[in-house]
Amino acid sequence: MRKVFLPRDMAELWSAMADEPAARVYAGGTDLLVAMRAGTVVAPALICLERLAELQGVREEGEEIWLGAATTHAALLSNPLVGRHLPLLVQALRTLGSPPIRNMGTIGGNICTASPAGDTLPPLYVLAAEVELQSPGGRRRLPLRDFIAGPGQTRLETGEILTGVRVRKPVDANCHRFEKIGQRQALACCIVSMAALLTVTPAGVVASIRLAWGSVGPTVMEAPAAEAALTGSFMTRENLHRAAVFVRQAVAPIDDIRASAAYRREVAGNLLLRLLPG
Amino acid sequence: MTTRPPKIGRDFLRPDAPAKAAGVEKYAVDHYGENLLWAGVRRAGVPHGLIRRVDAAAARSLPGVRAVLTGGDVPGTNRQGIVHKDQPVLCDAKVRYAGDPVALVLAADRETLRRALALIEVDIAPLPGVFTIDDALNHDAPRLHEDHPGGNALLQATIEAGDGAKALAECDVVVTETFTVPIQAHAFLETENGIARREEDGRIVIIVSTQAPFRDRWEVSHALGLPMDGIRVIAPYLGGGFGGKDGATVQCLLALAAMHADGRWVKMWWDREESFQAGYKRHAARLHYHLGAKADGTLHALHCRVYYDTGAYAHLGGEVMALGMEHAGGPYRIPHTRIEGWCLYTNNPVAGAMRGFGVMQVSFAFESMMDILAARLRLDPLEIRRKNALRVGDRNSAGVLMTSSTGIGACLDAIADHPLWKDRAVWKAAAGPNKRRGVGLAAVFNAMGYGRGLPDTAVAKLEITPTGRFVVYSGVADMGQGNATAFVQIAGAALNQEEGMIDLVQPDTDRTLPSGSAAASRTTYTYGNALIRACQDMRRRILGRASMLLLVDRLEDLGLLPGRVRHPATGREIPLAMLAATLTTPERFCVYQYLMPVVPDPPATGKAFKIGFPHLLFSYGCHLALVEADELTGETTVRDYLAVTEAGRILNPQTSVQQVQGAIAQGIGYALHEDLQVEGGIVQTDDLGKYIIPTALDLPDIRAVFAQAYEETGPFGMKGLGEVASNGPLPAIANALADAGAARIFRSPLTPERVLASLQQGPGM
Ligand SMILES: Cc1cc2nc3c(=O)[nH]c(=O)nc-3n(C[C@H](O)[C@H](O)[C@H](O)COP(=O)(O)OP(=O)(O)OC[C@H]3O[C@@H](n4cnc5c(N)ncnc54)[C@H](O)[C@@H]3O)c2cc1C
Repeated sequence: MRKVFLPRDMAELWSAMADEPAARVYAGGTDLLVAMRAGTVVAPALICLERLAELQGVREEGEEIWLGAATTHAALLSNPLVGRHLPLLVQALRTLGSPPIRNMGTIGGNICTASPAGDTLPPLYVLAAEVELQSPGGRRRLPLRDFIAGPGQTRLETGEILTGVRVRKPVDANCHRFEKIGQRQALACCIVSMAALLTVTPAGVVASIRLAWGSVGPTVMEAPAAEAALTGSFMTRENLHRAAVFVRQAVAPIDDIRASAAYRREVAGNLLLRLLPG
Repeated sequence: MTTRPPKIGRDFLRPDAPAKAAGVEKYAVDHYGENLLWAGVRRAGVPHGLIRRVDAAAARSLPGVRAVLTGGDVPGTNRQGIVHKDQPVLCDAKVRYAGDPVALVLAADRETLRRALALIEVDIAPLPGVFTIDDALNHDAPRLHEDHPGGNALLQATIEAGDGAKALAECDVVVTETFTVPIQAHAFLETENGIARREEDGRIVIIVSTQAPFRDRWEVSHALGLPMDGIRVIAPYLGGGFGGKDGATVQCLLALAAMHADGRWVKMWWDREESFQAGYKRHAARLHYHLGAKADGTLHALHCRVYYDTGAYAHLGGEVMALGMEHAGGPYRIPHTRIEGWCLYTNNPVAGAMRGFGVMQVSFAFESMMDILAARLRLDPLEIRRKNALRVGDRNSAGVLMTSSTGIGACLDAIADHPLWKDRAVWKAAAGPNKRRGVGLAAVFNAMGYGRGLPDTAVAKLEITPTGRFVVYSGVADMGQGNATAFVQIAGAALNQEEGMIDLVQPDTDRTLPSGSAAASRTTYTYGNALIRACQDMRRRILGRASMLLLVDRLEDLGLLPGRVRHPATGREIPLAMLAATLTTPERFCVYQYLMPVVPDPPATGKAFKIGFPHLLFSYGCHLALVEADELTGETTVRDYLAVTEAGRILNPQTSVQQVQGAIAQGIGYALHEDLQVEGGIVQTDDLGKYIIPTALDLPDIRAVFAQAYEETGPFGMKGLGEVASNGPLPAIANALADAGAARIFRSPLTPERVLASLQQGPGM
C-alpha cells in the first residue's frame, strides 16, 4: 500500500511534502503512473496537485497570459483566453494524446516531464514562456528554456513545485503553426514537430519569425540561422527550402523505434514548407 | 428486440449487444471466484539456451506464495501443440524463445505473484540464436528441435500445376520481385486469460478466453496426462481473438495450477506486455515472385518461393503457410504454377493463426505483381484483373477445379461501375499543395473451412424446453465476429420463432457438442448447416406431436407459427408451451452433425501437406483504396475505401458489414502501422504505445458492399466472410501509392519514412 495525499491548499501541500520527503508530486498522473508501472520510477508516496486552486485556470494579466500548472489540456482547449491569444498552443494541444489523456494530463506535467517529444514545449519555447516555481521558501521565475535541462531533466529543486507558466500575448504574430508527425493521428508520440510564430507583412515579407522543433534533439531544438535567413525575405518555396538546410544542420535527432535520425532531420526541414500559404 | 421471427437477408441486431453495451456480459476476464489464487509465469527472457538451474527457494519462502512449479512438476507429456506436440507447458531442458515459460507461481495476490516471479533465479546457458529467415535456412545454424527431421524447416512444400515454372519461358513478359512483411500482433482488447479450479470430484473446470474449447480439453489432457472427461472447458464471449486464442495460451498452465490449489479458483491474466512477448503472432514472411504473361495480359505462369518465419514452435505454422501457398496466385486463372514454401523455426515469438491465415502475406505480393505487370504491359489494372479472374470451371493456381460460387468477376464489375473508380482522375487531380493522390486496387480471396484431411464438422444441439422455448447449444466460440447472432437468426428463421423465444448457450464442453474452432471463416457455415438440419428435425418432431394432439393425419397440413402450431384448415392451434410439456427429455433435443464437403478429386500436388489442402470454397473481394501521401513527410492517409465482397448470400447485412469493416481496419493497420519488432529474439514493441494499431482517426469511412451469390452448400446460401477482407488493404494501398507516383514499396508496413523515400525516388516499375 502506498500513501496518496490530496492537499486542498498550499499549507497542506507543504506539510505533506515535509512529512514525506521522498514522495512524488503528480497532477494527471498520465506520465508518472506509466513510469511507475514500468518500474522506472519508484514512489513510496504520492501527492496529488489537482485540487490546488493556486495551480488551476487561465488568467489574463496585462500583456501576459498565465496558465495554471495543474490545468488539464482539455480545460486549456476550452478556455476562451487560450483560444483567442494562443492558437499555436491550441493546435499543439489538439494533437496531444486523446480525449481521455487530455482530460487527465496537465500542462505542468507536460513541462516537468521535460520530454523532447512533449507537445506543449515547442509552442511554449517560441512564445518565450517563463515558468513560476514555488517552495515554502518562496517563489522564482525562470525562462522555460533554462528550466528544462535535458531529456527528462528540469531545474526543479527539492521541495519545489511548478505553479504556472506565463507567456506574452503574441499580438503581432499573424501566422501560428504547429505541425506534428506521429505514427498515427491520435495517441501518437511525436516523431518530429515544429512550432512557428510569424509576422508576415501584407507584401509577404517575413518581419519576424520564431521556430522550434520537438523530438529532434535532447530538448526542444531551435535554429537561429534559419530564423535569420527567413527574416526580411519573402515567404517563397525557394527561401523556405534554403532555410530548411539550416534547420537540418541545427537539429540533433537520434534513431529510435519510431523513426530514424535521418528521417527526422529531413522532415524537420521539410515542415518549414508547410508555412507556405495556400 | 423484434417481435417477428428473424428474416434471412435482413439486418438482425446482435442479441448480445445490450448486455455488452451495458457492461454486464461476462467475458472470461470478468470471472474471479472467492478465495482466488493468482497464477503467473516466469519466462525465459533469453531466446535460446539450455536450462542449467531454476532456483525457486526464495520465491517459495515468500509469504503468500502457494506453490512454484517447474518443468519437472508437469505430469503427462508436458507437450502441447495443435498439429505437432513440440511446445512445453513448462520448459524442462531447453528454451527456444524469450517468452518460453520456465516456472509457474501460485500466490495469494497479484503483488505477491509479481515479487515471487522476480525472485526466481533462472540460470540458462545461452545457445546461438536463429533470428531471421536466412539464419534458419543456413544448414550450419543451431537446430531448435534436434529431433525434427526437417532441421529448422518445420515444413517444406511445393504446389505445382500445369507445366510449372518451365512455362515462364513461354511468356512475353515476366516480372520478378521480392516482398517482405513483418510480424503482426492480434492486439485484442481482452488479453489471454482464464480461471480454473479442481472440483471435489477431481475434475478440472476451466473458464477461458478461447477459440477452441474442445481442442483445449484435448491439449490439457495430453500435456498433463488427465482423462478427457476429467476436464471441462467453458468459453464465454471473447473480447477479441483474431486467431490468437486458437491454441493453448493459459489453458495447460491454469489446469496445472488448479492441480496444486486445493480446490481454490486460480486466475491467470497476461498483461499487455506479456501478451506481446508470449502470445501467438502472424508470421513475418519473405516472398519471391516471378509472374509471366502473354502480351495481351493473359497470365501464363507463376513461380514463387515463400518463406514464413514460424518462431519457436510449430503451432499452426505449417498450415498457415499451406494456406498462403494455396492462395499465392491470387483469384486468377494461371495455368502453370510452381509455388515453393519453407516454414522455418526461429528463436522469435511463436507464429500461428491470425485472421487471413497466411493469405495476407501473399496477397501483398500477388496484387502488387498484378499492378507491376499491368504497368509493364500498359494495361489498365482493373482490366488485367477482369481478364484473368477465376470463373466456375477454371482451375485456380493450386490446380483445383472451381465448382462452386466464384464471384471475383462480379466484385471487379462492381468496382468498374462505381463512381469512386470512374471519377478517380478528377479526385486525383484535386490533391492539395504538397500532396499526391493515388488509387489502388486489390482483388483477393480466402478459403473457407479446414480443407481436405481435417474434417470440418460441427454438431448442433437444439432443445425445446418444457415451457416451449428454444435453446441453441453453440459449440463454436463467438469472439465478436457474430456467429452467435447468426445462430439465433438461423434458428429463428428455420423454426419461425421470435428472437425472444430463443436462448443461446455459449460453448461449454459439458453442455454443447464438439464443433471445431472459431477459425477459417467456417463458424457460421459449418455450425449453421448443422443447426438448420437440427431445426428441421425439431420442426418435424413438434409437428409430429401436434398431429397426435390435434388428430391431424398429415404433417403438411400443420404450420409451425411463433409460439404455436396451427391447423389452418380448421383454425385449431396448440401453444408450444402446452405441446412441449408432453415431450419426454430425449424428445426435446435434436442433434445434427454436419460435415463440410471437400474437393472430390484433389490435384496430385502439395503432397507435403498432411492436412488442410486443398480447399473447395472461397470468398472473394475487390478493394479500392483512395490514398493521399504527403510529399513533405511521407504520411499516408486513406481518404476513401470501397470493398466489394462475394461471400454467397448475405444473411445479416449489418454484421456482415461489421466483419468487412473490422477486417479492413485491421488490414489498414497491417498496411500502414503494425510492425512487431524483435531484436535478437526480444520483442521491442511490447506495449500499445510502441506497437501501433490504428485509431478511429486513422481510418476512412469504409464502404462495404456485397456482390451477392448463392452458395449451394451454404446455410441459406452463405459463405464465411470473417477473413477475406483483411487481405485487401495492404496491396490496395501499396498500389495506390505507386499510382500516386511513388517508387513501389516492397516492404511493409508503409511507414512515413518508407513512403517519403519512395516519393523522393519517384515513379518506377
Ligand atoms: C496514452 C498516452 C498518450 C500520450 N500522448 C501524449 C502526446 O501526444 N503528447 C505529449 O506531449 N504527451 C503525451 N502523453 C504524456 C502525458 O500525457 C503528458 O506529458 C501530460 O501533459 C502529463 O501531465 P500529467 O499531469 O498527467 O503529468 P503527471 O504524470 O502527473 O506528472 C508528470 C511529471 O511531472 C511532475 N509534475 C507534474 N506536475 C507538477 C508540478 N506542478 N510541479 C512539479 N512537478 C510536477 C510529476 O512529478 C511527474 O514527474 C501521453 C501519455 C499517455 C499515457
